[in-house]
Formats: sequence, C-alpha cells, structure tokens
Amino acid sequence: MSFVSNLILATVRMAIPLLFIALGELYSERAGMVNIGLEGLAAIGSLVGFLICFITGSTWLGILCGALVGVAVNMIYAFATIQLCANHTVYGMAMNIFAPALASFIYRVYFGKGSDLSQITLMKGIGIPVLKDIPFIGPLLFNQTPMVYLAILLVIFTSVFFSKMRSGLNYRAVGENPKAAATLGINVIGTKYLSCVLCGALAGIGGAYLTTCYSNTYTEGNIAGRGFIALAAVIFGRWSAGGILIACLFFGFCDALQIRLQVASIGIPYQFFQMIPYIATVLALSLIGGKKLGPKAAGKPYKKEER
Amino acid sequence: MKKGKQSLAGVIVPVLSILLALLIGAIIMLCLGANPGLAMKSLAIGAFGSKPNIGTTLAKATPLIFTSLCACFAYKCGVFNLGGEGQFIMGSIAAIYVTLVTGITGVPAMILALLAGAVAGGFWGFLPGILKITRGQNEMIISIMFNYIATLLMGVVYTNWLRDGSVPQTASVPKESQLPRVITGMRFTWGFVIAVILGFIIYYLLYRTSAGFKIRAVGINSTAARFNGFPVRKYMLLSFIVSGAIAGLGGSVELLGTQFRLINGFASGYGFDGVAMALIGQLNPVATIFVALFFAALRAGATTMQAATGVPTSVSDIIQALVIVFTVAGMALSKLPEFTAFLQRRAHRREKEVTGA
Repeated sequence: MSFVSNLILATVRMAIPLLFIALGELYSERAGMVNIGLEGLAAIGSLVGFLICFITGSTWLGILCGALVGVAVNMIYAFATIQLCANHTVYGMAMNIFAPALASFIYRVYFGKGSDLSQITLMKGIGIPVLKDIPFIGPLLFNQTPMVYLAILLVIFTSVFFSKMRSGLNYRAVGENPKAAATLGINVIGTKYLSCVLCGALAGIGGAYLTTCYSNTYTEGNIAGRGFIALAAVIFGRWSAGGILIACLFFGFCDALQIRLQVASIGIPYQFFQMIPYIATVLALSLIGGKKLGPKAAGKPYKKEER
Repeated sequence: MKKGKQSLAGVIVPVLSILLALLIGAIIMLCLGANPGLAMKSLAIGAFGSKPNIGTTLAKATPLIFTSLCACFAYKCGVFNLGGEGQFIMGSIAAIYVTLVTGITGVPAMILALLAGAVAGGFWGFLPGILKITRGQNEMIISIMFNYIATLLMGVVYTNWLRDGSVPQTASVPKESQLPRVITGMRFTWGFVIAVILGFIIYYLLYRTSAGFKIRAVGINSTAARFNGFPVRKYMLLSFIVSGAIAGLGGSVELLGTQFRLINGFASGYGFDGVAMALIGQLNPVATIFVALFFAALRAGATTMQAATGVPTSVSDIIQALVIVFTVAGMALSKLPEFTAFLQRRAHRREKEVTGA
C-alpha cells in the first residue's frame, strides 16, 4: 500500500518538470521552431532558480527568475534561427553547450570552491479543501505543491488554446504553413518570437522546479537528460497537450519506479535501475514508429522574400 | 567563384568567433577583478609555455579529436550522432576488460584493446542507427539516451564489477599495456598520432573515394541520392557504425594513454564538445583537428590561469561555448541572401570607384 502510494506521489513529482519542458517545446514546435536546446535552458533555469531562492528565500521568486533567464537565453536561439535562419538543430545543440557552461560558471563564481552543498527550503505543498479529504486519492493528488496544479491548468489551457481558440489556430498556422499564414495577415515573425519566449520560460520553470520543488540543492548535470526526454514526450504525445501529459506521466512513472526499486532491492547495482527512464524513452520512441505527425513547417527557416 | 567565397567564410567566421569569444572572456575576467592581459598570458603559457605543457595540450586534444571526428563523419552523411560520449565510454569499457581481465599484456593487449574499443563503440553507434533506419526515429534523442545508459553502465563497472578497493574506481591499466609516449617528458602518447592520422584518413575517405562521395551525397540531399540509386539507409547505418567506432577507438586510446582507469566523470562532456568542434571546423575532418587543439589548449591553460590569477577554470568553458554560438550564427549570417547581396553591392561599388578613378 505504501509502496503504491509512494510510487504515485513520486510519479506526479517527476512528471511535472518534464511536463513544463515538454509543453514549452510544444509551443515552440507549433510555431515551426524545433528547439533541441531544452536541456540547456532547463540547466540555466535550474541554477538561477536555486540561486535566487538561496539568496531571497522565496521559491516563487526563484521560479520566476528561472523562467526569465530561460527566456533571455532562448532569445539568442530565437535571433539566430529566425533572423539569421540558422539550422534549428545545430543552434539548439549550441545552446545545449552554452547554457550549462554558463550555469556551472555562475555557480562556481558564486559559491567558490566550497565543498559543502548549500541547501534551500523546498516549496511547500498546499492541500485543496474538500478534495484532499477524499480517501487514498485525496492526499496523493490534491495535496501537492502549487506547481503541480499550475502544470495541470497549463495542460488544459494549452489543449483548449490549440484546438478551440482562434488565436491558437492562427498560431498553429505559422507552424504548418508560414507563407499562407502571412497572407492571412498573421504576424509570422512575431509568433515565432512569442513561441521562443514561451518555450524559454517553460523550460526554465521546468529546470527551476527541480531545484526549488524536488531536490533542495543544485548539482551539475541535475537535468540528466530531461530536456531530451521532454522532446521524446512531445513526439510520443503526438503534439497534443493531453498526449504530452500522458507521455510525461509515463516517463515520470519510469523515474519514480527506478527510485522505488533502488530503495527496495539490494544486491543489484543501482545504476541498472537508473537506466530505466532512458531505456523506456528509446522503447517508447521505437514503438510509435516514425510517422511524421508534427507541424509541417517545423524546423524550416522562414524567409519573407523567398517565393 | 561562389564556392570559393563560401569556403573563405568557413575560415573567417570561426576565426572571428574565436577572437570575439576571447574578447568576451577577457571582459568576464575583468568583471571578476582579474587582469585579463595577465590571465590570457598565463593561459597561453599553460598551454604552450614549455615542453611538458605542450605535451599536456596534445594529450588533452587526443580524445577531443576522436569525438569531433565521430560527430563530423555522421553529420557528413546527414545523420546527427549525438551519442559520441556513450560510444567513447563503451570503447573504454571494452578496453578496460581487455587489459584487466583477459590477462594479455604488452603490445598485443594494446592492439586488442584498441580493436575491442572500436568494435564496442561501433556497436553502440549501430543501435541508434538501426532504430533510425528501421523505425524512422529521431536519432538525436535516441543516441543521447544511449549516452546516459553507457555512463550508467560504466558506473556499474567501476563501482561494482571491476571495483578496486574502497574508492569507486577500477584498477589501473598495467604499465606494460599503457600506450607509450612519443617523446619522453611530454604527456602525449601514440594515441595522438593515431588520432591525427585517422583525421587524414577520414578526409581522404570522404573527399577522394566514391563511397565517400556517396556518403556526402546522402548528407547533402538524401532524396536526390535515393533517386540516383544510392542505398541511402545502408549508408546512414554505416556512417553511424563508423562514427561510433571512431569514438570507441578514442575511448580506448584515452583509457590506455591518459586516464588508465575508469572513474566517476570519465569522458564527461566529450560527446557534445565533439559536436561543437565538428561544427566549428565546418565538418572538415582536418580542420576539426585544429579546433580540437584550440579547445585542448584552452583547457590545459585554464589551470595555470586559475593558479596565477584566481579566474576559475570554467571561464574556458564559457569561451568554448561562445565560439560555437558565434560560429553557427556567423555561418548562417554569411549565407543569408541579404548579407551576400550587401557584400556584392560593396564589391560592385568599389569596382566602380576603381574604374571611375
């Protein structure tokens, strides 16, 4: 019983950072911007979130600043890919190298060579009245940190935005056929920049979540491939917010399972359990096959003058 | 004419990017309260100041050359192999098993370990490759997932299977199986020579043989290559295997020549650095060797710089990262129609001035 409830709790907790990052990628790809720099954005968001929280003591301020720095760093990507028409993949890779280097540099300059880990107080859970008193499910699902509720609200909003709202459909048009969108009077360049703002902010929040709501310290490499797993979640979730939620819960479950199994079993090297999320990602991607379902113009440069 | 201009940009942009990155590095040093002139000088001394320092730079360049050639080869065939690090690690795991477990020592052990490393790396490249061509999956994500799996497997090896003593690390490769140094007093080994020769072989293979032509054709336009009857998917898989084998060979060279044992943090970051260097070197195998030397010099010099001025070594990581950020942006800029038109207009005007005068 406690194994199962702990597993569910951990699943939700591990799915949330993936969910933020993956939704960021969804907003990006829907405007035709394939951003593989998520890992880097999350890394810098994670560090800044931790640092601000460490200085001010406010987790909310930490998360806000994590989002802001994610936006700031992603603007470099936005400028290079939108204005200079740099290859999205190549530039995303450049950001994956640049942002973590920046993060570890800031960390070392601020904390020096001190070996003892600085810690912060994690964000506290808030119970939703009435719902949290439901037996079994209540304490598991309705007594979480506000970030969990925020993520769920974001999924609902994103889903409605892209399927029901006029502005959302216009936004999608930019990712499907930017030239047609432009002839309809949609601001293609503006939408692409907006998508990068959203993606940077959400990836930054996803990173900051890891330091302010999950582990109370910052360690180098704490993102541990979540940026890429989030990319896989977008593909696995077939570019829909609901699908991404399910995919992230699945990957979160794999992560939760490996932590639980590590605790529960003795004798088997713990690294084998740590492999589970990565193997699951490979299997998940291999199972769904390569049918291209994403936005048609994803990853393609948009040149106004070209006919 | 146009091709000449493009390759000119391929030299100018990286050089300008390096200068710009160094300039920003100097500004950061200034902000940290250090004297940038002194810091840069100690950086240069640390990298090239003496015979042992040059040896260290070349030793540090060796693994970087392998991973950058790995990234370069795959990208030439149009597949993005981001799994260099995992393939490198698998190579080093194979090498440690050959040298510690089989009981073979000396030169046979070296040769066997290098071969085993290449095979293990090639196998680790084969996995994402086969998933790419049969399942059509995004090879970037998959090859990165294999990096984490390889890193964790290496963790099992040094904390469990081949653990030596209380510290989580393996025993050291026996002295007689270690790669010998080329010049006594300098840390670099024959591994560096292998790396450089490999770079030239890959250059020859890609640019002077028909198989290389086909590989590049697939990379430039896979649809056109398919209509020409080239077995596109076979070449993609092949390039994944070869690129993995290059990285795996690098892993065994690093183990036998520099690190001698597996330990936490072995090879950390080499894969992505390789991708960066390949891109800065414009995917030219010979050029990437020079880029790797530059990166290695930054690393070798950073320690001296830290000792002399107190600037943390991670400044050199920032400089490296800025080089890649600037180079990719600069290359994109140089290809923009607006920019080339601007250059043409200027050249035209100058011509007019000359003829007018």
